[in-house]
Amino acid sequence: MVLKIRLARFGKTNKPFYNIVVAHARTARNSKPLEVLGTYDPVPKPPPFEEGKPVKDIKLDTARAKYWLGVGAHPSDPVRRLLSMIGLMEPKYTVQKMRQTEMEQREAAQREEAVAALEGR
Amino acid sequence: MPPRVRQPRLQSTLPRPSIPPHQCQCVCQTRSRQFSSTSQHATRQRDDMFRWLNGPGSVFRQPLPGSTNYINAYDKGGNLIRARDMRAGENNGGGAEEKAESKEKDVDEGEVRDLEVDVETATIKHKKAQRPSRGATTNAVPLPKETAEDLMPFPMNRQFRSQSVLSEELKDAIYERVMVQGKSVRDVSAALGVEMRRVGAVVRLKAVEKEWESKGKPLATPYSKAVLSMLPQTPYIPNDPRVHESINDLPVHRATTLQLFQPVSETRHFDRRDAAQAFQRNLLPAEDRIPHRELYLMEKWRYEGVQRDERIQRMRERNEEDFWAKKEREDRRRERERTEVTKVDHGRSVFKFQDVKVDVRAGKDGRGPAGVGARYGVPHQDRKRGMIKIPTRVG
Repeated sequence: MVLKIRLARFGKTNKPFYNIVVAHARTARNSKPLEVLGTYDPVPKPPPFEEGKPVKDIKLDTARAKYWLGVGAHPSDPVRRLLSMIGLMEPKYTVQKMRQTEMEQREAAQREEAVAALEGR
Repeated sequence: MPPRVRQPRLQSTLPRPSIPPHQCQCVCQTRSRQFSSTSQHATRQRDDMFRWLNGPGSVFRQPLPGSTNYINAYDKGGNLIRARDMRAGENNGGGAEEKAESKEKDVDEGEVRDLEVDVETATIKHKKAQRPSRGATTNAVPLPKETAEDLMPFPMNRQFRSQSVLSEELKDAIYERVMVQGKSVRDVSAALGVEMRRVGAVVRLKAVEKEWESKGKPLATPYSKAVLSMLPQTPYIPNDPRVHESINDLPVHRATTLQLFQPVSETRHFDRRDAAQAFQRNLLPAEDRIPHRELYLMEKWRYEGVQRDERIQRMRERNEEDFWAKKEREDRRRERERTEVTKVDHGRSVFKFQDVKVDVRAGKDGRGPAGVGARYGVPHQDRKRGMIKIPTRVG
């Protein structure tokens, strides 16, 4: 069965709080996972000493996360976003990547146009 | 049944003079109210109250500068007792016993149940005297300090004595010493005779005040000034700081509230350390649990006959050791934070990643309360009786 690294929502109404877990893909969201890797608090807390941006707290066992990625666990998109921030994964979407794909698509379209023009002539 | 209407004793048909509402209305009005079902006793009390308010009680409307505004400091005629005593002392050439005696008499008489007895005469006296206490202050003779008897704001509660509050200058001095000069809270507390927790609170509140000032938020300064002018204050005298409160009180540990009978052999030297251990195994002795241990040590060394220079030298060494130990702890904490915490700036907020070991703190079965994350199969305790819901520490 596919192993996923995903978020399990705990907390209360309007107070989300997530466990970052390793679980089988087809089990329920809050069922008992194989392992808890850490937590993610998506509510930004005011920064210490009122300086800078608000802070979101994440606790993560990076060694265990690396192990599970090594044995083929698939992170979900939100977890992938988090893991890519500390360099454990390639980000799925980046501005650079988006630009690149956009350019590739444009080039392909241009090529097709050129081919069509040649054939039409 | 309709309410019973009491016949008024005095029927007044004359038109009433227009009196401003704060003036004495009821003396002439209450008796003549036609449809009032209030009992006679209550209206008499009202009369007495208004008579008092316009007579001897009117001194409290404008508090004396540099003095508290408590009822016990005045006699029934509305005269400041200590100002009167001072004048009497000047006239008699100092009759201390007589002063004390008369004061005691006044205070005893001044109980509330006697208040109504001769308010009438007091009013007349008051009108004649025209606030002699104010006259005393205008002659630039400083009032004597309030005695313990004067500091009772509630005459019925004779146990309550109003305690001094920190003056504005003292608060400023505390903030200056801690935040500008960088002295430790402990040193400032010992130097100014203010408890450490209070020093901390003053520094925090002053910081908030300064922040508000910088933001241009309005402060309730007139209110604070008015309240402070009526309370006893601890002044700030830079070269001779007054002790504000007892700073080295031993906090009562829960384990020590037991009554304990400990059989000890006569030959054994049983000291405070043993006493603490008798209460609880790891309990520190009293001298290690007091807030200012250094003051205890200084006194102990003095008692042991250590010379003054030597004592100062020892204390300096001790302070230095403390300083370095504190610095080391701080460095270690910074180092740990540097290695464990990664901060990623991501648009509107910063993501703070803390590297943890999930299996270390969760215990053998993985369900320990110190483990990371919400626990599975462990119900929330937050609706249980007696659980503290307010945060007990700053995260």
